[in-house]
This record gives sequence, C-alpha cells and structure tokens, in this order.
Amino acid sequence: MSARNHKQWNAQPNLQSGEWVDSNIYSNEQIFEEELEKIWKKMWIPVCHESELKNAYDFRTMTIAREPVIVVRGQDMKVRAFLNVCPHRGNMIERRPSGNFAKSTPSGTPKTMTCMFHAWQFDMKGKCVNITRKYEGYQDRLCESDVGLRELKSEVYFGGFIWVSLNDNINQTVEEFAAGALESLAPSVNEEPLEVFHYHKSIIDCNYKLWHDTNCEFYHDYLHYHNRITGFNDEYFARKNTGFKGGHVNVGSFEVQYENYKGFHSREELSFPHLPANQWYMIDMFPGVNFNLRGSALRSDIMTPLGPNKVMIEFRGLGLESDSPKDRKIRIDHHNSIWGPFGRNLCEDLIAVTGQGATMHLGSESRQILHGRRENETIHDENGMRHYYEEWGRWVGRSPSHPDQPFVEPVEAE
Amino acid sequence: MAVNNAETVEKIKSLIYKTCLYQDDCEWKNWLDLCSEEFNYYIRAYSPEIQKDMEYMGGPKKYMESITGQLRKHNIDDSPLKRHGVVYRVDLSDDNQSATAVTSLTVFQTLLGGNNSHVDSGTTGVFLVGRYNDKFIFDGDDVKFIEREVRLDTRRLDKGTHWPI
Repeated sequence: MSARNHKQWNAQPNLQSGEWVDSNIYSNEQIFEEELEKIWKKMWIPVCHESELKNAYDFRTMTIAREPVIVVRGQDMKVRAFLNVCPHRGNMIERRPSGNFAKSTPSGTPKTMTCMFHAWQFDMKGKCVNITRKYEGYQDRLCESDVGLRELKSEVYFGGFIWVSLNDNINQTVEEFAAGALESLAPSVNEEPLEVFHYHKSIIDCNYKLWHDTNCEFYHDYLHYHNRITGFNDEYFARKNTGFKGGHVNVGSFEVQYENYKGFHSREELSFPHLPANQWYMIDMFPGVNFNLRGSALRSDIMTPLGPNKVMIEFRGLGLESDSPKDRKIRIDHHNSIWGPFGRNLCEDLIAVTGQGATMHLGSESRQILHGRRENETIHDENGMRHYYEEWGRWVGRSPSHPDQPFVEPVEAE
Repeated sequence: MAVNNAETVEKIKSLIYKTCLYQDDCEWKNWLDLCSEEFNYYIRAYSPEIQKDMEYMGGPKKYMESITGQLRKHNIDDSPLKRHGVVYRVDLSDDNQSATAVTSLTVFQTLLGGNNSHVDSGTTGVFLVGRYNDKFIFDGDDVKFIEREVRLDTRRLDKGTHWPI
C-alpha cells in the first residue's frame, strides 16, 4: 500500500495502546477547559526566578490558568504569592510585569500594593491595610480583616525558581511533586545562587502539549543542522529517556561537540558546578515546564496555555550570580547561539510546532499522532511522550488515544 | 575624509540605507563588506520583566560571516523581512575620524509559509521595532561600520528568525 484513502488514513495504526494519541487532545475546546481545571489549577507551576525579585518589595506578575497572580518579596525577604485581584471590585491590582512597592504610586502610599481603582491597600503579606472612606461606606459591616488578598501556595525550589499552585489543598511539596526528576541537575543548580540573564516570549498557534512533546522527544534533532553535526554519534544515540512518577521525564546527557559547528566553541571552561564538560541535560516537568542545561547555560521554558491552539512560552536563560562580566558575556553568547530568538535552533522548533498547530486546530479532522518509537528507552525512543500522556490521561480522566473514552490504567507487562 | 560635514552625513545615511537593502535581500556578504574587520554586531533589549539589559545576539564580523554562511543548511522561515529605517541623527567626532548614528527601525515580515501558507502567505505584520545605534570609522575617503547595536523594544518574538536584523 502506498498513499491511503480516507478509511485507510483513519484506520487504527498497528501499534499498541498508548503508542499514539488522538489529535483531538490538541484541538478540542472542552478538553482544553478540562485541562485548565483538572491539571493547571491543581499543579505546582514555576512562575519566575527569585533573582527577578532580589529586593524587599519587589514584585512580578503572571497568569496561571487565566488567573492573575502576583509574587512579592516582603520586608522579611520571604516570597509570597497572591491572586492579583482586588477583593473590592475585582480589578487587577498591579498591571506592570515587575517593579517595587517601596515607592508610592499615584493612588497609594509606599510599601503597599494599591489598587488604583478605589485605592484599597494591602501589605506584602496580603493583609488589607486601608479601605478608603471605610466608615462612611461600610460603617461596622466590613473592615480590613474581612478583605485580605487570596494567598496562594508558593515555594522556592530548584536553583531558586518560584513555584506557585492555585490549589490550596495540594498535598505535596515541590520536591515530592518532582518525584526525583530534578535530582540529576540539583547539584549543579543548587551549588550557588543563579541569576536570570535572558527573557523573551513567544505566543504561537499550537497546543501547549505540542511544545512539551518537542522538548520530550529528540527524534526531531533531524530538524536541527546544529544538533546533527554536533551530536549524532554513538554516545548521543545511547542517551536514555527516564520517566519519573507524575509524568516527568529526564533526558540523559552526553558530550556535545560544539566545535563541529563552524564558529562555535567548546563550553568546557564555564560548565555549571559538578557538570562534566559540554554535557546536555533536559528535564521535562508535567504539565508544561522544561529545564535544559547545555554546559554553561540553563534555559527554562514556562508555558501558559491560552487556548486549545495557542500557547505563550516564556524563555529564560540563567547563569551563576557570581559570574564575572566576562564570564557572563560568554554564557550569554553560548545561550543565544542556539536558544536565543535569533539563534540556530529555537526558531526551527517553533516553525515545526506551528506546522503541527496548523493541522490540529479547532474543527480539524481527528487523526492519530504516533508516539510509538521503541529503542530501549534511548534518545529516539518516544517513551518520554508515552509516559507524559499516561499521566495526562489520569488527570483528565480521558484516554489519550480515544479521548471520548475514560482513561484506563495500563496493565503492567509481566 | 572629506571636510564637508554635510557630504559625510549623507554618506553615512546612504551606508545605513544600503545595509537595509542588503539585509532585506539576504545579501549577507555585501552587508558585511560595509563593515570593518573590527566590526561587532549586537541585538539588545531592556527587559522590564526581569529588569535587566539583555543581549539576544552578538559577535564580531567573523562570527557573523560564519553563521550567515551556514544559513542554507538550516530550516529557516523564508518569510521576507523589510527594514524601514529613518536616520534620526548623525554625529561626527571633533577630529572627523569617526561618527555615530541613530536610526529608527521598524521591521515588517511578509509571510510566505506562515502557519498555513494557503491562508497566511502574503500577510504583512510588524516583526519588531527598535533602533540602529551605529558607530563608524573613517579611513581616508572610506567610511565603514565598526559597530551596530540593534536596540529592540520588542521582546515578544514568536518564531524569531535566523537572520540578523
């Protein structure tokens, strides 16, 4: 058989359950809404890095599952997270991406979060400290202690990333949530403080899981001239994909031959602590976070799903806080050469996933997306994606291969 | 160098506009031929998000020659970019041996493939906004770029690009 007719095209592939997914999981609005409720509002999500809030009263704003969030560093230097919503009339309290509350604002006094709309004020612990013309309006019916901000669970973990959960009842620490998936890089990122040196964002037309898939599978290294020429060798093909409880995946390391790309150089002199020269580790955290360490520079991808076929990805690059200006410049060059918005690889990945998004948008005919490569869980094995979708099925309660059917736990092979 | 400052200013403006044309047409060698051997290129932006000045790309002339020389081996977005520059000011040094220039820059992208070429091809949008901050050196009658900083306002770059701006 060569090209196929419609019936043949839609026939179930000759693969085992779990070795393909239905493209509806990337395009269906109902499934997307369920994902926000059942996954994104339940999990730990890293939202920024502590180096973005170095000083007391510094803040950062962001969004998790459409809910506006603000992270602030208090006078006690503790980081806390709140819904960025005024309890009065639901206005977003802070509109800027970052800043510092030590100075006054047009509507407010220093050292408070002030809602510009009616000048209600809150301290760095979320306590309401001023309701304007309170007694005239509310008499004794409502006072400051009734209208504090909604505090969210937060933790600083894994090299200084700030993790937030909308789920008050989450019963795991971030460490427990990671289930060991972060341990391969923990010595390298926890040895000394890190600092963010790079930030840019992409908003692209594809489902968030397609970006995560691309970070989980390395078979697509055929896309990247740089990776083929600096990577494809016996050691590369022996790299292992390891699944961890909770849908997280590690991609094992090997020594990259950067000098094989004309104009690029070894990163040996600036390896992260405890990391052998020119190694490349990747950690993919459920449901949509990626940590990627190429010797001298750490990259993080934090996804914010915006719709079934739209995702925002925030890209950060990190080095050591102790870097000299010269070392920092080298790290930045290493980061940018591959991962910057004008680098060699990142735009190639983004072109590819938007190509997937273009065939799997709302109303597209459903089709099978294959995750069936088995190569002893090495680099081109697609076990990482299979591991992720098994966990996805558990949380959403739908079969990834047949999303109109309930998820059934796979039977362990004897 | 000609002592007539007006002529020199016009020469510098003409050089800047030439770079726009050469880069629009992906004539990377012709672009870099306008630069001295000591030339350095940077794309930078300030991020209000992380409150830091950032560098998105940077390197000397040899690095730029190397990466532009390997573009044909990469899977690139072929959607052409058009650089709309307006030279706002040119300042000559007192000794007439160097100059700086500031150019307001808007880069438009006309989609070729887009996400789905049937729908997207031919669509033009703003790709980025920023400035060229250029430095020049004079060698006799010759003027060459010695530094170009592309200073971006734009930090949402979606698919980005392999091409220097």
